[in-house]
Amino acid sequence: MRRPIAPAVVMAGCLALAGCGGSADGTDAAPDLSVRSAYMPQPVTESLAAGYLTVVNKSDSSDDLVSATSDIAEDVSVHETSGQTMKEAGPLKIPAGGRLVLESGGNHLMFEKLKHRPKEGETVSVKLRFTKTDPITVEMPVKSATYQPTSAKSSSTSSNSHH
Amino acid sequence: MRKKTFAAVLVATAALSLTACGSSDNSSSPVAEVSVETGPEKAATVLDKPFEKPDLVLTDTQGKSYDLREATKGQPTLIYFGYTNCPDICPLTMNNIAVAKKQLPKAEQDKLRIVFVTTDPERDTPSELGKWLKGIDPAVVGLTGSFSTIQGSARQLGISLEPPTKDKEGKVTSMHGTQVVAFSPKTDAGYVLYGEDATVDDYTKDLPKLIKGQTP
Repeated sequence: MRRPIAPAVVMAGCLALAGCGGSADGTDAAPDLSVRSAYMPQPVTESLAAGYLTVVNKSDSSDDLVSATSDIAEDVSVHETSGQTMKEAGPLKIPAGGRLVLESGGNHLMFEKLKHRPKEGETVSVKLRFTKTDPITVEMPVKSATYQPTSAKSSSTSSNSHH
Repeated sequence: MRKKTFAAVLVATAALSLTACGSSDNSSSPVAEVSVETGPEKAATVLDKPFEKPDLVLTDTQGKSYDLREATKGQPTLIYFGYTNCPDICPLTMNNIAVAKKQLPKAEQDKLRIVFVTTDPERDTPSELGKWLKGIDPAVVGLTGSFSTIQGSARQLGISLEPPTKDKEGKVTSMHGTQVVAFSPKTDAGYVLYGEDATVDDYTKDLPKLIKGQTP
C-alpha cells in the first residue's frame, strides 16, 4: 500500500475498488463470497494447467482462500507470481467488501498431474476452501490457450515492462 | 520527458484496474534502452540500440547441437526464455505467438524462426521440451543446455535469470524471461521487444512486418 509513486493515482484506484484491505474488518458477520469469471486456458500437456477466477466478498468480514482441489488433478495449489518466478502462495486474503483476483501474470491456481488434458469447451470442477466460509465448488470452463478476459487487464503483467 | 509521461500513464492504468491494492510486485528487472515513441497502446517496444544476436550453441529437442547464429542467419527470429513447468505466462506467450503465426501465409510461416530457450535445463531435457512444444507448435525450436550458457545469452538480451532453486520439499522454483525478442532478417539484430501482456492480436498485427525486418 505505501508506495512512493503517484499517491493520488493509487488512491483513486483504491477508491474505485471498494476496500483495499484496510476497511472495517472487525465485525463478525459471516463472509459472503461468490466466484466469477472462472476459466482455465487449454493446457499444453496433461501435466500442468492454470486456472483463473475472481472471488468477490460482499460482507464486512474478510476471509482467505486457503486451498483448492479438483477431481481432474492430483494436486492443485494456489500459486503466486512474484517478479519472474512463481511459487506456492500462503492463504490469500479476500478483503471485506473487496475481491481476490486470480489472473494471468498474477496469482493463479496451478493444477498438476491431470488425469487428461482438458480441451476447450470442457468444464473442470474445482473446490475452493476458505478460512471461514464453507467450500465453494466452481465449474471452470476450459477456454482457448490464448484466451484473455476482456474486462480485467492485468496490472501485474505490466510491472516488468517499464521502470 | 516522454519517458516520464509513459511511466505515469502506466501507473495510472495499473492502479485503476487493480483489484487488490498493494499486491503487485515491483521487482526491478533489467530494462534495456528503449524508445518510447511507440506509445503505451503498442505492444512492441522498438529498441534504439538493437541487441546483437547471442553467440549461442545449445541442444535442440532432437538432442542435436543448435547454433543460433548459424541456424537463424537472415531469418526473422523470435526468442523467448521460459520453462515447461510454468503454468501461466510461458505457455500463454508461446501460444500467442503460435496462433498468430498460423495466420501468416504458408511461405512466411516457413521463414519465421521461433526459439524457446529453457531457463530450467535440469528438468527441461530435449525430450521434455519436445513433448511440450508439440502441444504448442512443433516447428518451434526448443533449446536446452548448461544454465550458465543460457543465463549468459539471456543477459546479452537484457534478460536477467537466476538458476532454479529447490526448497525443502523438493519443489523447484524457476524463472521465466520478461520479454520476447524479435530479430531482423536484414540485420540479424534484436530490434523489437514484446512484454508479457502482448496478445495474439498484437503478434498477428506485427508478424508480417517483423518477417520483412520492418519496424512494427
